[in-house]
Amino acid sequence: MLRITQTKNTLLDGATIADQLYTTPKDCEDFFESIEKPTQVVVAPRSTFIRAGVLTTVRGSAYMEYGNTKLMAIVAPPRELVRSSVRRVNMGVINCYVNFAAFATGDLESVPEREKHLGSMLTKALEPLVCRNEFLNFQLDIRVLIMDDDGCLLSTAINCCGVALIECGISTYDLITASTACIYRGCPFVNPSAKIEELFWQHRGGNALLGSSGSTNKDESVQEHGLLINASMDNFEQLAQCQQCGYLKPETYVRLLDYTLEINKSLRQLIRRVLSERVKEQHILDMREREEERLEDERLAIIIERLKQQGLHEFIQSNIKEDPYAKK
Amino acid sequence: MAYVALSEAEKTFILHGVEEDFRCDGRSRRDYRPMDLETGLVSNASGSARLRLANTDILVGVKTEIDVPNPLTPEFGKLEFFVDCSANATPEFEGRGGSDLAQELILSLQNAYESPFAFDYRTLCLIPGQQCWKLYIDILILECGGNLHDAVSLAAKAALYNTKLPRVTARLLDAGITDLIISDNPYDCTRIGIDAVPLLVTVCKIGDYCLVDPTAEEEVCSTVSMVVSVSMRNNEAYLSGTHMTGGGSMHRDTMLNSIQLGLSMGEQLNSLLLKMLKSEEERVGPKRPNTVGFLK
Repeated sequence: MLRITQTKNTLLDGATIADQLYTTPKDCEDFFESIEKPTQVVVAPRSTFIRAGVLTTVRGSAYMEYGNTKLMAIVAPPRELVRSSVRRVNMGVINCYVNFAAFATGDLESVPEREKHLGSMLTKALEPLVCRNEFLNFQLDIRVLIMDDDGCLLSTAINCCGVALIECGISTYDLITASTACIYRGCPFVNPSAKIEELFWQHRGGNALLGSSGSTNKDESVQEHGLLINASMDNFEQLAQCQQCGYLKPETYVRLLDYTLEINKSLRQLIRRVLSERVKEQHILDMREREEERLEDERLAIIIERLKQQGLHEFIQSNIKEDPYAKK
Repeated sequence: MAYVALSEAEKTFILHGVEEDFRCDGRSRRDYRPMDLETGLVSNASGSARLRLANTDILVGVKTEIDVPNPLTPEFGKLEFFVDCSANATPEFEGRGGSDLAQELILSLQNAYESPFAFDYRTLCLIPGQQCWKLYIDILILECGGNLHDAVSLAAKAALYNTKLPRVTARLLDAGITDLIISDNPYDCTRIGIDAVPLLVTVCKIGDYCLVDPTAEEEVCSTVSMVVSVSMRNNEAYLSGTHMTGGGSMHRDTMLNSIQLGLSMGEQLNSLLLKMLKSEEERVGPKRPNTVGFLK
């Protein structure tokens, strides 16, 4: 009795890109069996690529690849509030919009819900970062476009937005870095891939229950499962956002938190380097522009000099090129 | 949350009170305000509860419906939250003004109830893969007096306790089709186990101290709060969803302290709530309480 309502992707002309429309709990079980469980947790970020200032049409933009997760953040300069009745009048307002590209994910049904959820969490994470007291009665729109989803979406989005905000010249209190860690059936994973995250989202942890009560023993031991996303600002060791879902013991929570803090530290080094290189690059560009300006000024100075020497009439006469057609 | 205008002097007064562990209404930092809870006052809903936490007023109704389970989780029933911020609470909720707040509350409740350990979705199953109960938990915010997360989760838990699902028997027809027979005796019903249902505890940071159950005025003074969802299982407290809110940041140690505070408060709240619900239910016969509702 499996009724499947296939959601069509209009951009892909009705085709779907999911290899399998539905993964059953059994599939997830098999998948979990098939992956290698890390014997020891390697607390390091995935291979990362960040570039600030990728677009010329907006002030602040950044592109980031975190393993296979690819996304882009765009920050427009603050503009005056449109909504007349806002709750907090003593602070600037941040609005985050997250969008999935049509080809980013196979599961299209849950996209609007996930977009909304990611947007609200992203707003919460960025609120402590931005000096919101500097633009009263203004709103800051931040847009994120997700091009490829391979897990750690929210944390990657936070990292990318942090870079884009600085590129845009919005004053912030610190650099923000974020990372994800999770635990499933006693196996901790850092930077979980989309497949592992799916174990939590799609089945609402149902597999954890299946696994634990498979032998139908009534006093089912609680199998911890949970996901933790942590955004930190390390200058003053502040946590900007710490979101957890699932079912965790407090001790496990602390363990996951420490993993993420460790990753955040090394990501911070990277983002710092990227930003300083960006500044250097911008400086070289500025120097070149200044050089060009100087040459232009010199050229103009020569013309003015000639103008002074020859007088106006003569100067104009000397500069008129004969029109080859008007000659006839 | 609702906007309350406070001057700098008033804020300082509240801040100093928190530092002295003596808040404006005489509570210490670990005290809750008095609560009134009544269950079963909406006759049209399968279960209902009304909670008044000082000035915060919440009405929760649970409606039931028979639905087809998700093919991915054939043994699980469904749960849906809806929060409505009444414009009676504050004028800002007029039109769509309360939708942001409602969305935030829905998300945190969904997050807290998501794990099958926190809420046993299997009790809502009728025929695996074919029929299940779907519960609509409609939450109405009638007045905002601060600490909405806690109040909403307490009321939702009480309403779930009060929910009576009519007993359903199934008859197998030809070709594997089943026919459901719903009992028409209103007392022939099943209940939902709420032992592990999570409670949300908001731990609010004002100045250097963390406190629970902030009033609307205290919420204005706070820089950041941590919403901790506590689920009790086998007499152990588990975290079933936490997040920070309020636009500030906190140190790791502060956060861990506030989680500890939240967990211990959640534990106490949970045992008190269960005790009160049980004692309310046991008052049958002539001792049975009259439905008071809003006529107090």
